[in-house]
Amino acid sequence: MRSISSVLSNLGLGRRAVGLILPILLLLGWQYMSTRGASFAYAFSSISQMQEALRELIATGDLQVNLASSLQRALTGLAIGGTFGLVLGVSMASSRIIDTSVGPLYHILRQVPLMGLVPVFSLWLGNGDTAKLFIVCLSAFFPLVLATYESLRQVDGKFLEVGNVLKLSRAQQFRHILLPAALPNIFTGVSFALAMAWLSTIGSEILFNAGAGLGNLMMNAEMASRMDILVVVTILIGVVGYLLTFVLYRITAYLFRWRKVASE
Amino acid sequence: MSIGIRAAIGLNRVAGRVHYRQLKLAAFVSPVLLLLVWGWVSHLQLISPQLLASPLEVAATFGELLSSGELQEHLTKSLSRLTLGYSIGASAGLLFGILMALSRNVEALCAPLFHAIRQIPTIALIPIFILLLGVDESFKIAIVIKASFFTVALAAYEATKGVSVNYLEVARVYKLPWTTLYGKVIIPAIFPPVLTGLRIAFARSWTVLVAAELLVADSGLGQMMQMGRDMFRLDIVLVGVVLTGLIGFCIDRSFKWGESHLVRWRVA
Repeated sequence: MRSISSVLSNLGLGRRAVGLILPILLLLGWQYMSTRGASFAYAFSSISQMQEALRELIATGDLQVNLASSLQRALTGLAIGGTFGLVLGVSMASSRIIDTSVGPLYHILRQVPLMGLVPVFSLWLGNGDTAKLFIVCLSAFFPLVLATYESLRQVDGKFLEVGNVLKLSRAQQFRHILLPAALPNIFTGVSFALAMAWLSTIGSEILFNAGAGLGNLMMNAEMASRMDILVVVTILIGVVGYLLTFVLYRITAYLFRWRKVASE
Repeated sequence: MSIGIRAAIGLNRVAGRVHYRQLKLAAFVSPVLLLLVWGWVSHLQLISPQLLASPLEVAATFGELLSSGELQEHLTKSLSRLTLGYSIGASAGLLFGILMALSRNVEALCAPLFHAIRQIPTIALIPIFILLLGVDESFKIAIVIKASFFTVALAAYEATKGVSVNYLEVARVYKLPWTTLYGKVIIPAIFPPVLTGLRIAFARSWTVLVAAELLVADSGLGQMMQMGRDMFRLDIVLVGVVLTGLIGFCIDRSFKWGESHLVRWRVA
């Protein structure tokens, strides 16, 4: 049986072109639906409308303002929640008292769906930015505690033995052996926390529905049945999320370039 | 930490069994302490009771909601949405993921679109789904399907891709029929990572369903919490929070139990 890609390569198209078939079909299907009278055009806005919506959002500055405020929220949340997560993770990994006493509580609280906490925080902190930021902080906090804890615990025993031989103090052991060994894995946790922070930023903006942010922009578009704006913003959210992870990945790769050399 | 303190709180490794039991006891310390502090703060009424219901009040509200049958109704609604959406999404994702990993044609055709859509958080799709499907049941089930499909499909895809070539070569040497190849080689090999994918997919589906119910629903745990928020009934909201957490916790634990018990052969 000849594969699709070999057929395409005979036609002078690369293997990558095959991947474009479905997206193009999807676009054509969407475009077709948008031309099928008013009842469909309400949900399926045409592609030219979407371009128009994008232009309109940029011209009025709506896009920039809301994007900036979402990004700021996600990164602030990551910084605050992540720091607390790091501290708790380190203390849980280095002290058994903290581990056995705080650990179970942490594992119970971690299971509560964060979006389910929206009503609680809205009653406690109001519907403004504080409540949203709190949720974002929590979303970055929980994964980082676990990542830090696990990474520190999984450090190879051989390294610690070297530390013992050199009679390092606990602080030195941590600074020179545990931390460098665990840091690459902790950064994997940071990238997960970043993804969670971005997700919960959008989620909390959708659910709180007050103030600036891409989530609010979407909810307003939803109220006004503006599918064109919705599609543009949703794609933007996906792209920004991807870029955030990508940038962090490059930073991590740069920071830990010594690791590759060391393992070779 | 000195050995003295460890011994005093029973953390020192003395005799295996006793040590283990004491650890188990220690596990209850922090949750119980939290309950006590919560009860104490609400007893002192530092914060208006409207903003901090005491644990007893929450328990009373729980009993009330239970005896009126309201809670069961919400719970059944949420869980049936979750079960329906998750079983559709997870089984479709499983099949699709394996298929995409095994067939180069399917992979070339679908992978780019799959990975592109995967980048969009499910929660960000809620507004579009509402416009397309309305606010009925189909919307909530569709959102659960989306959340579970992509997670499981990715796990199954990566697991199948990761099946060691050695296994397949051995199978070829022994000229195994394809039924045996799948039943004895591929499925057991991808089982552990897929199970982890199923667990993560479940947690995501549950979060997204609660969010969708908070936003638009006429029933379900999320709607119950939203109603509590609108009526300033923190006790109702907290009953919802505790229940959603508990459900998440129990199902997560059973998946983990499955992961460690069903794949025990792996260690051996």
